[in-house]
Amino acid sequence: MNVSYRWLGTLLPELATSPEETAEILALRGAPVEELVHLAPGLEGLVVARVEAVEGHPDADRLTVCKVDAGGETLQVVCGAPNVEAGGYYPFAPAGSTLPDGMAIKAVTIRGVESNGMLCSEAELELGPDASGIMALEGDFKPGESLAGALGLDDWRMDVEITANRGDLLSHIGVARELAPAGAEGVILPPIPGGQGPSSDLGPSSGRQGSLLTLETGEAEVSAEGVTIRIQDPDLCSRYLGAVIRGVKVGPSPAWLASRIRAAGSRPINNVVDATNYVLLELGQPLHAFDLAKLGGPAIVVRRAREGELIRTLDGEDRRLDEGMLAICDASDPVAIAGVMGGAGSEVSNETTDLLLECALFDPKSVRATRNALEMSTDASYRFERGVDPESMELAVRRAVEIILATAGGTPDPAVLDACPAPWTGLTVSLRPARVQKLLGITLTEEEIGDLLSPLGFQVAGRSDTAMDFAVPGFRSYDVRREVDLLEEVARTYGYDRFPSELGPFRPGTVPDHPLFQLEDDLRDLLVGEGFLEAQTMAFAPEGEGEVELSNPVSLQEAYLRTALLPGLVRRVEYNFARGLRDVRLFELGTVFYSGGAGEAPREEARLGLVLTGDRTPLHWSGEPQGVDIWYLKGLLGRLVHGARLEGASVTDGTPSGQGLASEEGFTVVGVDGVIQGLAGRVDPARVDAPAWAGPVWGVELRLPPEPSPRPVPLYTPPPTFPGVDRDLALLLPRGLPARQVEEVIREAAGPLLVDLRIFDLYEGKGIPKDHRSVAFRLRYQSGQRTLTDEDVERSVTAVTDRLREEFGVETRG
Amino acid sequence: MSGHESLIEALRVLEIQALEAVSAATDPDALEALRIHFLGRKEGQISGILRGLGSLSPQERPAVGAEANRVKERVQGALEERKAALEAEGGEGTADFDLSLPGSVGWRGGRHPVTQVIDELWSIFRSMGFTRARGPEVETDWYNFVALNTPLDHPAVDEADTLYLKNGLLLRTHTSPVQIRTMETHEPPIRIIAPGMVYRRDTPDSSHTPGFLQLEGLVVDEGITFIDFKATLAEFARRFWGPGTQVRFRPSFFPFTEPSAEVDVKRVITRPDGTTEETDWVEIMGAGMVDPAVLDNVGYDSERYTGFAFGMGPARIAALKYGIRDIRCFFENDIRFLNQFAQP
Repeated sequence: MNVSYRWLGTLLPELATSPEETAEILALRGAPVEELVHLAPGLEGLVVARVEAVEGHPDADRLTVCKVDAGGETLQVVCGAPNVEAGGYYPFAPAGSTLPDGMAIKAVTIRGVESNGMLCSEAELELGPDASGIMALEGDFKPGESLAGALGLDDWRMDVEITANRGDLLSHIGVARELAPAGAEGVILPPIPGGQGPSSDLGPSSGRQGSLLTLETGEAEVSAEGVTIRIQDPDLCSRYLGAVIRGVKVGPSPAWLASRIRAAGSRPINNVVDATNYVLLELGQPLHAFDLAKLGGPAIVVRRAREGELIRTLDGEDRRLDEGMLAICDASDPVAIAGVMGGAGSEVSNETTDLLLECALFDPKSVRATRNALEMSTDASYRFERGVDPESMELAVRRAVEIILATAGGTPDPAVLDACPAPWTGLTVSLRPARVQKLLGITLTEEEIGDLLSPLGFQVAGRSDTAMDFAVPGFRSYDVRREVDLLEEVARTYGYDRFPSELGPFRPGTVPDHPLFQLEDDLRDLLVGEGFLEAQTMAFAPEGEGEVELSNPVSLQEAYLRTALLPGLVRRVEYNFARGLRDVRLFELGTVFYSGGAGEAPREEARLGLVLTGDRTPLHWSGEPQGVDIWYLKGLLGRLVHGARLEGASVTDGTPSGQGLASEEGFTVVGVDGVIQGLAGRVDPARVDAPAWAGPVWGVELRLPPEPSPRPVPLYTPPPTFPGVDRDLALLLPRGLPARQVEEVIREAAGPLLVDLRIFDLYEGKGIPKDHRSVAFRLRYQSGQRTLTDEDVERSVTAVTDRLREEFGVETRG
Repeated sequence: MSGHESLIEALRVLEIQALEAVSAATDPDALEALRIHFLGRKEGQISGILRGLGSLSPQERPAVGAEANRVKERVQGALEERKAALEAEGGEGTADFDLSLPGSVGWRGGRHPVTQVIDELWSIFRSMGFTRARGPEVETDWYNFVALNTPLDHPAVDEADTLYLKNGLLLRTHTSPVQIRTMETHEPPIRIIAPGMVYRRDTPDSSHTPGFLQLEGLVVDEGITFIDFKATLAEFARRFWGPGTQVRFRPSFFPFTEPSAEVDVKRVITRPDGTTEETDWVEIMGAGMVDPAVLDNVGYDSERYTGFAFGMGPARIAALKYGIRDIRCFFENDIRFLNQFAQP
């Protein structure tokens, strides 16, 4: 909402704060100012001047020589405008000043006559299109006063952020009420220049008496002077006021009106449209002016549209209506979309002489649904959606009529048509003072509560033993409907800052800490210790990488939800490759989504994803760096499976194809139930956009248990006190016999004294028979009860070699 | 004494002399001279003794040979040990030992900067008695809006810029659905935070990404008032942003809280030169007393229980804290960026 600081000042004469201070107060009342703009840039140094005498130029027929009073000594100025008159006031740019377009004004000699400045046209000041002559200023001015100030341009525009509940703040009067320390009493409506007044009477019953106009009130239908208004669907329109003005002259708005409209960030259009916009901005009442001659009947029928009815709206678009939408129609066709936009066919133009001015109350939800379906939003619909004051409708009509009469002339019909099938009956809300203590923690007396609420317009309408009844003003009748809404107003007016801030005791909650957070933290610790950086990527994926499709994605690349973390992480590797970075080690903890079947929510899974490429360690002088390889990956995978608390899961060699990993180099993690819990391996080189210098890219994707078991507690066993004995066995294994199988047999055969078994050497080539390799195992024997003898160890080793010979035909080497 | 015994005796004397001389040597040149003196093939003392082998019987020779080898090895070992010790002491003298060379290190790892902020938030809230709760990222209108007192025809729904799925479900626009799910399954007292990913249909720019992490909190119990609400969040803000931080509560609007507030902080920043500077007010969270309609929706007695809720954006806080102007870099995962937040 764009608010003019000066306009605010006319509504609230006691406003004594600067624009900056005002913005600060609004922020503390819940309506922060996002931007504060000074409106008269480029007019600094320009003044109002009075032309005292005009004489012909001795050497040019079209020029005049003027004596100008610009607040100091009388200046001589050469002027080329045909409309300059002695005694007139004009904008004046003295020598040394600069015009808005950047032109510097200097003292010059024009055809032999000295000229000390320039009298300016509207166009030269960028205040309007008129370049035909200098801008004549109407009114009382003091020569030398600031031009911006004299034109009302010495103003600030405040872009106020209004929350969705406060439709009443979408108007200058609403903002003024919020700022008035003593409340609504301090707010007045400024007189309209040239107006017949008193539309500035703000009394609650001001619509009915003492006013410019009287009302011809009926229920669903009312007519007078040959014009009829009929509400067919009172559920969507509870009241429709129509004022007829005949014989207007549509034209540009006077400066005061145009500058108000501009100050609030809109564009002046013509005196009639600007009058309705003025009332919208001032009172928050959306009005619409129809060209009466173009309304068939002439009549206004408020009804639901017929399916497929067409209307061309003011923006030139043809819109197709449906039965859910409320239309304003003439005797036959739609002439406006209720609360959204008027039709082009009945638009006020320069030829318009007779007007019908609409001020109606539409159902907020209906307006919202209609403008959503039509994918449009207007100043009017924005306000109707948030709720328009049912109590200031008559005032708005009178105000608009007054402005139109003052700026466009014409004669109003004697009565305003008032179709009112569902009159506003007011709203009362109860508040129990005990709830103030219970919710806000402070104790207030009934009197104090009343004093806090009355400046906001809430008046005590009744009392009982435990509760106070408050009459809610119309402009707050949308957001203050319950006790808690009043409690908020009490807190807000009391001042959030005034509440004490003492930390009291608390009871512990009943919700246990979710174990998955702890698991994720443990995995982060593990991987950070391994030299990995944590990444975060978006859950969106392009087609082909997801099962769950979005209906309104931000882009096609983000049209699905991912089913795996790895593809996104590989793209992050490519991003780093593209920046010349070769060693990339990233992991992510994130969610993936699988389609859950028809009508069901997608299945979500917490995952760990990891990518790595480059060297195992940073470049160092002590030796050639070793690249990350499958053995590093396998070792890491073992720790991760353990760290992820995938109980009973085992790592098998080789990966299923189609997972983006090259299947021959990788591992699969299989859970106890045989379900795949994870994959690790080399990322298919065809799927990585890698520069020539990049190493292979390795990846891991692991499911995390949705409800992980608690962190395992190690059970203590005392470290052995008797020495251990190592024995090395070099075995000649035929190719095709997996080391893991041999390992299992050794463990089995060796018996309980074997406490550790490691492969420490692998050799093939010279000295080894073809199709064989030499694999060296180190067996560590140890007992918790005694020192082992040579015989103990020999017996076990023999058992092992015998078993190996039996099982695989394998012999020990040399 | 037989011939071979006297030779063995001579070897042992030589051993003692050699070991003493080696331990007294102070530079590599002296060690080299000692090596030649004792072990040299031609002039060496041990070689000299072995020349006397010729006078012994073949039966006596092996014992002397073995002893000579033992002494040789012992002296050789002492020379090497001394040489290493001298190198370790000085270093200067040896060209191939430069202590200014860098030590060997592994890759640095680090948590994502936004995770680090969440960690810090969690450690503060944990110390204030909170636990962590989580919920699904795909939600229904009920959990994301309606149960949170936000009817679908309310203009506040527009502000959420919801991303919908083809099947009519939506991606949660805040972690508030976790509040509902938690209250549905637990009785008061409730004292939780819910960190998690949320989604909005925002075109990415320097202050928007279509997905981002959010952290919400919820406290519900008997006797929770606006004073508890203010005190808890002000205490949190001072602990997080440091001593000297001023905290301000401004009225605002959220459909699921009433009264609602925005919380602003004004921080004191210490510049590298040690001087301090006060920042402008910056908004760090939205909060408020839980709306009774929300409590009613989960079957709590809103006459008996009251509570407060709050929400903040860890990415926004990280950006403020680390001076990051474009939050998109949190999702680029440029390792040069992430490394700035890595462990030492």
